[in-house]
Formats: sequence, structure tokens, C-alpha cells
Amino acid sequence: MPYEMIAVLMFSTMLLMMLTGQRVFGVIGFVAVVASLALWGTGGQTMGFSAAMKLMKWYPMLTLPMFVFMGYVMSESRLAEDLYKMFHVWFGPVPGGLAIGTILLMVMISAMNGLSVAGMAIGSTIALPELLRRRYDKLMVTGVIQAGSSLGILIPPSVVLVLYAMIARQPVGQLWLAGVMPGLLMAGVFILYIAVRCTLNPALGPALPAEERALITRAEKFRLLRAGVLPLLIFGTMMGPFVYGWTSLVESSVIGVAATVGAAVIKRRFTMEVFEVATRSTLAISCMFMWIILAALSFGAVFDGLGAVKAIEGLFVEQMGLGPWTILILMQLSFLIMGMFLDDTAMLVIVAPLYVPLVGALGFDLIWYGVLYTITCQIAYLTPPFGYNLFLMRAFAPPEITMIDIWKSVVPFVILMVISLVLIMVFPQVALWLPETVYGK
Amino acid sequence: APIKWRLQTYAGAALGEHVIKPAIDSFNKIAEGQMNIELYFADQLVPTGELFQAMQSGTIDAVQSDDDSMASPTEVTVFGGYFPLALRYSLDVPALFNSYGLDAIWKEEYAKVGVQHISAGSWDPCNFATKTPINSLADLQGKRVFTFPTAGRFLTRFGVVPVTLPWEDVEVALQTGELDGIAWSGITEDYTVGWANVTEYFLTNNISGAWIGHFFANMDRWNEVPPHLQELLKVCFEQSHYYRQHWYWAGEARLRVNETKLKLTTIPDAEWANVEAEAVKFWDEIAAESEVKAKVVAVIKQYNETMTKAGVPYRFG
Amino acid sequence: MPRSIIIFVRLVDRLNYGVGRFAMYLLFVLMGILLWSTISKAGGAPSLWTLEMAQFTMVGYYILGGPYSMQMGSQVRMDLAYARWSDRKRAWWDAFTVLALIFYLGVMLWGAVDSSIYSLTYNERSPTAWRPYLWPVKLVFCLGFFLMILQSLAFLFRDIATIRGETI
Ligand code: NA
Ligand code: NA
Repeated sequence: MPYEMIAVLMFSTMLLMMLTGQRVFGVIGFVAVVASLALWGTGGQTMGFSAAMKLMKWYPMLTLPMFVFMGYVMSESRLAEDLYKMFHVWFGPVPGGLAIGTILLMVMISAMNGLSVAGMAIGSTIALPELLRRRYDKLMVTGVIQAGSSLGILIPPSVVLVLYAMIARQPVGQLWLAGVMPGLLMAGVFILYIAVRCTLNPALGPALPAEERALITRAEKFRLLRAGVLPLLIFGTMMGPFVYGWTSLVESSVIGVAATVGAAVIKRRFTMEVFEVATRSTLAISCMFMWIILAALSFGAVFDGLGAVKAIEGLFVEQMGLGPWTILILMQLSFLIMGMFLDDTAMLVIVAPLYVPLVGALGFDLIWYGVLYTITCQIAYLTPPFGYNLFLMRAFAPPEITMIDIWKSVVPFVILMVISLVLIMVFPQVALWLPETVYGK
Repeated sequence: APIKWRLQTYAGAALGEHVIKPAIDSFNKIAEGQMNIELYFADQLVPTGELFQAMQSGTIDAVQSDDDSMASPTEVTVFGGYFPLALRYSLDVPALFNSYGLDAIWKEEYAKVGVQHISAGSWDPCNFATKTPINSLADLQGKRVFTFPTAGRFLTRFGVVPVTLPWEDVEVALQTGELDGIAWSGITEDYTVGWANVTEYFLTNNISGAWIGHFFANMDRWNEVPPHLQELLKVCFEQSHYYRQHWYWAGEARLRVNETKLKLTTIPDAEWANVEAEAVKFWDEIAAESEVKAKVVAVIKQYNETMTKAGVPYRFG
Repeated sequence: MPRSIIIFVRLVDRLNYGVGRFAMYLLFVLMGILLWSTISKAGGAPSLWTLEMAQFTMVGYYILGGPYSMQMGSQVRMDLAYARWSDRKRAWWDAFTVLALIFYLGVMLWGAVDSSIYSLTYNERSPTAWRPYLWPVKLVFCLGFFLMILQSLAFLFRDIATIRGETI
């Protein structure tokens, strides 16, 4: 069978089968093993399992349950409540101030966990009810929380960047640092958008009334600033030793867990219930990730061994004769489209083995590309019909917010993310300046 | 239909560009479509730990690796990557295999497990490249080092903590702090694959003059190949070994002298003599493990004795 | 549904719940190993075994926890249309597509058994200085895939029951 045919067949079968609603890992794995049994030749049956041994040796995956557990401990023990109060009091007086405060809250939470789940949970349990009570526009509020929490995968620590590092064989430390400035840039873009819209139309985000502001004393305001110390401390104990090379990546992740649990215990919020929910949810999320990656690794290896990777490379570079930037833009577009339908992990593990070597061969920086890729994942979290933040929002939001509201609410933020993506494509130094400064010899 | 083989090498793409790709390209060109080898790099289809098993069961048709890193279940696997301090020059390997009988031992051992041993060659020397300098044996204490399993066993005697990772992850692991250094290759490979960017120092004392690497194939696949193509496979693989000989020989000297990313350090001769004495003990322990191992150790001892007696330029001092 | 099937489904549910709860706590074993790795490194004598032991523990964690994660419904589906279907319609589709899942798991089990037999035949050890035997972790894989198949069969029987208008 010609290589192109195999590539088309494997992809289309997989997408069609996913439409039936069977579990994603089962569909990917099924296509992989059927293709290898039918087309590999002798010994094809072992291709599925050899991916399991490959996955076992990927040591950065050990950080996955750690960062997930940290996020759950943080959200379940309501560690972020004081932090939210701080932003609330300081930013309340300006139009849209609470929404701006929520974005800043999300930046801080992003610096303490590796996924967007914790941000979603904290945002929708603490910020959402309060913002709705204050008559903030519901589309604005749900959009802010979904977009803000997605920063969790761009600002370090980031599980998505760890996965990318494994596949692209790039250093995690540099990738994480590369995510910092783009993450802050994107938060800035969100804030700018909120400020402009709420100034033009104050009904979208009314400022705190003067009488309420008068109730908070100056001393109280400064006392609340102390809440900001905690995230800085957790981020510092985790990232500092790692960047200085005293601890390894996986060791740092467990130090982060220790710091978070320590903070929860000191605040007397580490209850049995917090422990149970965090432990159980961590297993659920980690299993989901690991089984998808396992299946997708088999898919990737079979796809590669059957010659399909070469076919796609040949198609892009030789037959179509495209220039590097055209190819890069096409790749990002394909990520955006796939992100509407696919889980970002599946997307990465299936497509990246194809794209990453190509990006390298075209002469682009793979650290920079990791940031671009992560932003497309953030967008994928927000684009219907398949997006984690959409599902989480549905699960957390009160019934008066409909699915259609949620879908509508992400539109402006998706546009803002695409703008940020373009900015970073045009100005790679936004991403590369920090890692080059820190790791430059 | 033309014969199609999948060959997976231990090397990643950057190194593979030199140590395997030219030979595969030549083979495919000369074979004129009668047979085609598809080349896959480290861990690309199956992880290196499963590589032997994959070849034995026919999932992968042929492999380029040393015995040790692909964990072959044979009596000779400990001699694979290298044999601590056994060899001084790259020509020692072909001499041992072609004139001292190692070739027959390897072919016999691999035939027992369903694998055709095609050819052995001398690869690069084995030196340390580390983040902090090694000026004496004491500096080895507590260093987490990527190395071959057998070298790892040996180096624990000096406080080294050997770590085995997928080859492609070594550079990242040096940056994420899982590793303090590597004891794996000569300086040519350090520069070619980018390890020189993430380490600071290069120790000029080598644990081996050149380690031993091989080409293997699944026995059934090998037997299906007509004799003229078998011959072509042998010749092209020999050519690959030869390419390494001059590529490393030139590179090792040039990079030490003309490049600055790695600073050179040396352990004093008197202290290094300790390591050599320990290595002799280590061989005796290995020889005691089985008859085949004893035979190989005896051959290497006899070879080294001859070389020492022959004097300069074979051995100095 | 026949009584034997009902008993099978309940037994499988309970077994996988128990195994999954056990696997869940391996998270803390993993943390302990990594903490020890940090401490021993700070003490100047890094451990030989921590990285590999952590990898083995991680395998136990997600492979043995797999069936329980399916019970909790945390294995994502692309539920474009699926979310809007009735329970009966979902059961109809699932009853067919779960066979694909079982087939995949079956091939994985086949590979795991092959690899375990190899491990036991040659007494395979990890090619590291610690040199642990590899058969225990390979048997964990076998067990995990087997339990996943049992859980998938339980789902299949549940779907058949739903189609027949019954519940287990
Ligand atoms: Na983060
Ligand atoms: Na999406």
C-alpha cells in the first residue's frame, strides 16, 4: 500500500471512530494495533506494548501526578481565597477591576500548578459567584475564567511543556522559562481588553460602589497584600533550586507538593476530605493522560514504521514546494483545527513526531516552537466542541449559564490568543530572551 | 517485490548523520532497488531496552548497537559497549576480531539466540565529560553519570553513580539536573550531538581506547537475503566502521586543540594506575562468571601481552 | 440478565475498585522515593535505585489504576454527538465500539505476555548499575491489561442490559 494511502487511512479511521464517542485512548490504540497487525509484517503485535516500555523510561512524566496533585490541593483547600480577596480589594474600584483581578489571580495560580484544571476550579468556585453577584456580564466572567486558567500550561510549571520537551527532546528548564514572558504578555492583552471594554461600557463590569470601598481601611488593604507572599514562596521553593541545578526536575516537583501541602496544613485546611478528593482526582487525571499517551505512542511508532511520516514530509516539503514560514503557519492552522476536535495530549503525541523534526529541519528554534504549540493548546482548551475548559466550565457554572453562553464567551478570548500567538511568531525574542539570559554561557 | 528491512540504530539523528546514514545510503544506491533499508534512529520505533527482543522476534530486521546497551541476553554482553581499559587504539578491535578469534565467538553466541552477527568494528574512545572538573579520583565521588551498564558497574568502585537513560534524553537530563556528566564517548561525539553545550570539562584519561560496536540481523531475515546482497551488507557495514575510524581519529585531536567549549583536565598518571589495576581485578571477576567469558578475557589478556612486548608504537611504558 | 453475568459484573467492579484504591496510594510511595532521591543527593551520596524505582511505581500507579479511572468515567471521549444521545443510544454504540477497546487491550496483553516470557526465559535485568530484574514490572503490565479487559467486558454487559431495558 502506498505510504500516503496508509497515512490517510489511519487518520480518517481514527477521527471517524472518535465520533462514536468511545474513549479516546481506546480509539487511538485500536487503530494503531490493527494497522500494525495488518501492515507491519513479522512481529507487528509487539509494537503496541513496546510503547509501554518507552513511556516507562520517560522520566519527566513522573512530574505529571505531582503537578496535578498540587493543583488539587490548592483548589480543594481553598488556599487561593485570601489571594482573591487581595485582588478584589485592590482592583475593585476601577471598571472591570474584579475581572482584571481574576486574571491576575489566574497568573499567580498558574505559577503554582501545571494544568488549567486548578485555575478553573478556583476561578469558578471563588471568583465566579462573586462576580455574578456584582452584576458583571456573565459572558465576560465565564470567558475571563476560562482564558485566565489556560495560562496554567504556559506559565511554569507546565505539564504540556514537559510533554513537548519529551517529544521534541528539548530541555524542560529552557522551555519553562520561555513560557514566562509570553504568559505575562497574554495576561496583559487580556487585561487591556477588559479595561477597554469595561470603560466603554461600564455595565459589563461595574466598579465597586464608593460606600463599599469606604468600609475597607488602608491598614486592611496592606494586610491583604501578605496573601501574595504564599504563591511567590511556593513558586520560589520549587523553581529556584531547579533553575540553579540543585535539584532535578522530578525532585523539584515533589518539593512543590511538599510546599503546597505544608501551606495547607499551616492554614489548617488540609482536611481528610481535601486529601481524599485530591488523591482520587489525581489518579483519575493521571490515568487519563498516561493511557492516552501510551496509545498515541504506539500510534506514532506504527505510523512512522509504516513510512507514513516520510510521506507527509515529502508532501509538505518536496511536492508542494512550500517555504518555511508557509509550512509553519499551515502547521499552526492545522493545530487550531485539530484542537477543536481532539484532546491536546492526543494531538501532541500523534502530530508532533511529524511536525517537530520538520520544524527543526526548516531552521526554526524548537524552544520557541514549544511556546507556539502551547498557545495553540490553550486555544484548543477553549474552542468548541471539544475543549477541557468548556467542559469544566459547564461542570462548575450555575445552571443559568447555558452551554451556548459558554461557547459565546470564549470568542473574544480566542481572538486575543491568536493575536498573542502572531505577536510571538513575529517577535521570537519575547519567548527566547529569558531562557537565553538565564542559561546563556 | 524488493526486500525491505527496517534497521534501528542506537544513535540519534545528529550522530547518525555520520555513523550510519552514509553506509545505508551507499547500500540502497548500489542495491539498485533489489533491496532497501529504512533507517530509524534511537528509540524511534522501539525503545533501546527492547531492541534486542524486537530484532529476535522480527519486529525490527536489523540493528546497529553495542551488545551492552541493547542488553543482549548472551554471554558476551558485558564486553559489549567496551571493556574497561582493555583497548588502547581503535585498530585493537578489528585485530581482536579478525586475528584473535573473537569473531567466531560472537557469531556462535548470537546464533544461539536467533540472531546473525554481521560485523564488529571499533567505535569511539570513552571519556568523561562533566559539569564540574575531575582532577583526581576523589572528584568522581557522587557524580551521577550516564554510561554503559558494564562501565557503570566498574565505576561504582570509585563512587560514581551510574544512570541509564534513553540516549536521546541525555542532553535534556544534563540540563534538568538528572545527570552531572557522561562517560560514554570521545570528544567528537560530545561536540557533534551537542553535549559540549551542556557540560564544561573533558577528562583526557580514557576508560577505553575504543568501544566495540556491531551490526546484527534477525536470523530468518538474513537467510532470506540472496548471497550477493549479504556480501554487499557486510561490505557497507565494514565501510561504516572504517568511516568512524578516521572521523574519530581526526576529530579527537582537532577538537581538543582547536575548540574551547570543553576545558581539558587530567588525573595524574600515578593515580590513574589505580583504575587500571582495579580493571584487571574486574576482568578476573567477570572471567569467573562463565566459560565463554573466561575465554574472551583470556584472549584479550594474551593480546595485550603481545602488544606490550611489541613495545612502541603499540604500547608505551 | 443471567445471574452469572450479574455476579461477574459486580465482582469485576469490586475487584477493580479495590486494586484501583491500592494503586491510588502508590502516589505517596512515589513521592517518598523522589523525596529520598532529593535528600540522598543533598547528602552527597545520590541513590542508585531511586529513578528506576520511581518509574516502576509510576507504572503500577497508572496501569493498575486504569480500570478504576474508567469506573470513575475519567477517560475522555470526544462527545460531540455522544453527549446528546439517550442512554439507550449510547449503550447501542458503546456495545459495538467497546469491542475495539477490548481488541486493543487484548493486543497489549499479548505483547506484555510475550515480553514477560522473554524476561523470565533470559532472566532479563535492566541494563543499569542497579540491575533490577524486569519480570515483576512486566507482570504488572500483564495484570493491568487483564483487569482493563475485565472492566471493559463489565461495561459491555452493562450496555447489553441497558439495551434490554434492565440495569445491573
Ligand atoms: Na503553570
Ligand atoms: Na477545542
